[in-house]
Amino acid sequence: MTHPVTLLDRLRIERLVWTLDQQLYDLPHHSRVAKRREVRANLLEASRDIGTSVALKRLGGSRRLAEEYLEAELGRRPRHSWVAAAYFLTAVPLLLNFFLSEAAGAYEQAITAADPHATGTYTWQGISYLQSPIVYTFDQGNPGHVGGAWSPLVYVLWIGGTIACGRLWRLLPRR
Amino acid sequence: MTSSHDPQLLKGVLSALLLRLLAERESYGYEVVQRLHETGFADVLEGTVYPALARLEREGRLATRLVPSPSGPARKYYRLTPDGHEYLRAATDMWNRHVDGVNAVLHRPLPNDPEGTPT
Repeated sequence: MTHPVTLLDRLRIERLVWTLDQQLYDLPHHSRVAKRREVRANLLEASRDIGTSVALKRLGGSRRLAEEYLEAELGRRPRHSWVAAAYFLTAVPLLLNFFLSEAAGAYEQAITAADPHATGTYTWQGISYLQSPIVYTFDQGNPGHVGGAWSPLVYVLWIGGTIACGRLWRLLPRR
Repeated sequence: MTSSHDPQLLKGVLSALLLRLLAERESYGYEVVQRLHETGFADVLEGTVYPALARLEREGRLATRLVPSPSGPARKYYRLTPDGHEYLRAATDMWNRHVDGVNAVLHRPLPNDPEGTPT
């Protein structure tokens, strides 16, 4: 007996395929796409054959399937994570720049709070080890500033943190 | 029909089973699962079979091709490579040796002692 595959069934299948895909980001792009297509095709076939609910149940859940796929592709040994590395790589500049900008703004406000019509040049050494000095120029209380770039140490920590977060050393070939 | 298998035991021989089925006939993922079920492995999950096929493909034991399907997306058909045939022969020999060894132990006559203590 063939089961009709309704729009809702298609959506349920797509949901599983999408969820699976999200958990396979550590695989190469072409491999991920191939697995997505294969799982979708097999699920549609199974859905027509035994019904969508049973087909999805027999797949064993997206998390388990993703884990099996990752193990099949990358082996059982401890694995790296591109996703974790990407999170760290993008989150650190966003957060650090936000806090450094807030600190620079606070220093600027402190000067105008002390003298609303300040005129002249002020230098703040910035946050130790993290950034270069910031030079503020005031003209009748109107502020402007330059500097505050990341120090080399921040770049080293950023790259080191990305490698540590993504366990990227595991990509190195084993002897 | 057998309805239950030790998952650990099955995992060890799943590759050989899949290779044997695919050596008989080129098949796509869902069809392989159905053929496994027909053989008696009714409780094998698709979620176990598809990654196992992917692993065999990565290891160079299976080759694939996409075949358009009249009823939906193109199907990915698997067939054995020469490496796959070689592995299947080795796995079959190994399995037979295991079975002989295990049977040799399991079929030994038990002593008549009700406690099961060898005399």
